[in-house]
Amino acid sequence: MANGFLSVAGAAKTFGSATVLDGVDLAMSRGEFVSLLGPSGCGKTTLLRIVAGLMAPDQGKVALDGEDITRRPPHKRDVSVVFQSYALFPHLSVAENVAFGLKARGAPPAEIAPAVARFLDLVQMGAYADRSIKALSGGQQQRVAVARALVVGPKLLLLDEPFSALDRKLRETMQIDLKRLLRDVGTTAIFVTHDQDEALTMSDRIAVMYKGRIEQLDVPAEIYRKPATPFALGFVGLSTRLPGTVTQSADGIVVVDTAAGALRARGNFLPGSPVLIGVRPERIVLDHSHANRIEAPLADAAFQGARVQLHFHAPEGAQILVETPSLPAAAGPGTPLKMSWSVEDTLLYPAPEAA
Amino acid sequence: MNSARRIDPVILLALPAVIYLAVVYGVPLLVLLGRSVMVGGLPSLAPFVGFLSDPFSWTVIWNTVRIAALVTLVCLFIGYPTALALARAGGVAQALILVAIILPLSVGVVVKAFAWQIVLRRDGVVSQLMTGLGLWSEPQRLLFTEAGLVIGAANVFVPFMILPIYSVLKLVDPRLGEAAATLGASPLYRFFKVALPLSLPGIVTGVAFVFSMAASMYVIPNLLIGDRFQTLATMTGRSFLFMRNEQLGSTTAVVLLVLTVAVVVGSAALSKRLGGAS
Repeated sequence: MANGFLSVAGAAKTFGSATVLDGVDLAMSRGEFVSLLGPSGCGKTTLLRIVAGLMAPDQGKVALDGEDITRRPPHKRDVSVVFQSYALFPHLSVAENVAFGLKARGAPPAEIAPAVARFLDLVQMGAYADRSIKALSGGQQQRVAVARALVVGPKLLLLDEPFSALDRKLRETMQIDLKRLLRDVGTTAIFVTHDQDEALTMSDRIAVMYKGRIEQLDVPAEIYRKPATPFALGFVGLSTRLPGTVTQSADGIVVVDTAAGALRARGNFLPGSPVLIGVRPERIVLDHSHANRIEAPLADAAFQGARVQLHFHAPEGAQILVETPSLPAAAGPGTPLKMSWSVEDTLLYPAPEAA
Repeated sequence: MNSARRIDPVILLALPAVIYLAVVYGVPLLVLLGRSVMVGGLPSLAPFVGFLSDPFSWTVIWNTVRIAALVTLVCLFIGYPTALALARAGGVAQALILVAIILPLSVGVVVKAFAWQIVLRRDGVVSQLMTGLGLWSEPQRLLFTEAGLVIGAANVFVPFMILPIYSVLKLVDPRLGEAAATLGASPLYRFFKVALPLSLPGIVTGVAFVFSMAASMYVIPNLLIGDRFQTLATMTGRSFLFMRNEQLGSTTAVVLLVLTVAVVVGSAALSKRLGGAS
């Protein structure tokens, strides 16, 4: 994959004494959909604003389609933004909002009306062309904002948490609609979100951001299966987490002594190193058929339709979480249960520094 | 009356102000209106017919409208950028600009007008500066000219243009300008298609304030241009104070009132047309 369409190199930004972006690199190919996923304050919106040209980086470069655009003003970048608040023009009608970018670029008037109609139809807002913005619901405003951003044919579309103001049901429909629309139009897009489900559903690749850095940039399945850092493990999906100390290390396998017992994992650490063991909850089975075996008293069982989520009493600083298709018979709070998982499913990290 | 229609008790909070204005403003206004259409105890439109058929009256009306319009324009052109800067500025800069705008309001109009008399004299600062820069071939007196009057009056009234525009601009979402920029709009296009239309309500309020104050100013023309130049306001004052012609004074006052109300209502209607649904 030629990762040359958008490239951000060493982008850094500080506000006063706070480092918001700490040397971020990001490369995207044409037509790709990348999510910036992270908690609030991780720098994802700052990165988005730097790419849009709404903010200048202290250091670093931004290049789009082979041109250095680091110092180019936003109106000359061909980068459209859908804002969290949509930022629709309240003094213009729906159709006038969508036409704004074309008019500003001096498009021939004869081309504007058909283009506006086409994009309003694409977002299923054709019937609302003459309405006032204030007469629209949140979901409708969001659709208009997407049409307004896409109608100018941007090289890159940036979406800043566009679904955060919508209720869950509507959000899920809109996610699927938007992804299909972007694929049809063939737009390259960066999507900022703090919602892991949204990122996993929509993205070709996800950049997990934390404290001004990209911790991991990979396809959703890899982000979930092999989180690169303890933060990625904790932020995306649920996990069992057991801190411990390496006691043996040979042939790429380490033995880790944890409060729940000795566990094996793939990795290379010096004996004595503090580490963190992680396991995805659905990789654990409730018997001792796999290599890493522990036993813990059940704390709570949460029925979730297709699966049951089991929470266990765990030592200080640890967390034991299992997802199974059904609750074992005769298991109640306090019942000790056996569980195991394979060495391949065991994730191993250097112990995170104490916060 | 429909019993389902109840008066919101909160509206009653306006009662003190309404009573106060009715007594000190409404009643005298009615007396004035009454006088302007009464001749010898009988209702008559003769005073208006007489006033409006005198060519000098039209000179006075034109003077009033022209000066008020010029002052309003100057205030708009100086005030709008200031309001924009004020809305964008933050922290200390904003506080400083606000103080610079509001503090001069505590200086009386008479004091300001006297200060302008000094500045606008033939040997005043403006004249010396312009001749010094070579822009004027010889010292000139701006005092007792219309230009001097407009400069002085605009100085007094400009805060009343800045503050309403600022208070509207402050509420405009800064994301709107950013959205326009990312859609390809240049700074100038953004200003004329986004910031300006959205700030129209503030402009209308500012124009209404400044125009009505400039049309009815009395002290400033007296000090900066003198008796030769008559406006409806100075003529009203002279009629009552010096000529003891209460009939004429009432008539000119009513003409001024009608004129100002027409401009205020007209500009509000115009902004509604231009601004659409907002």
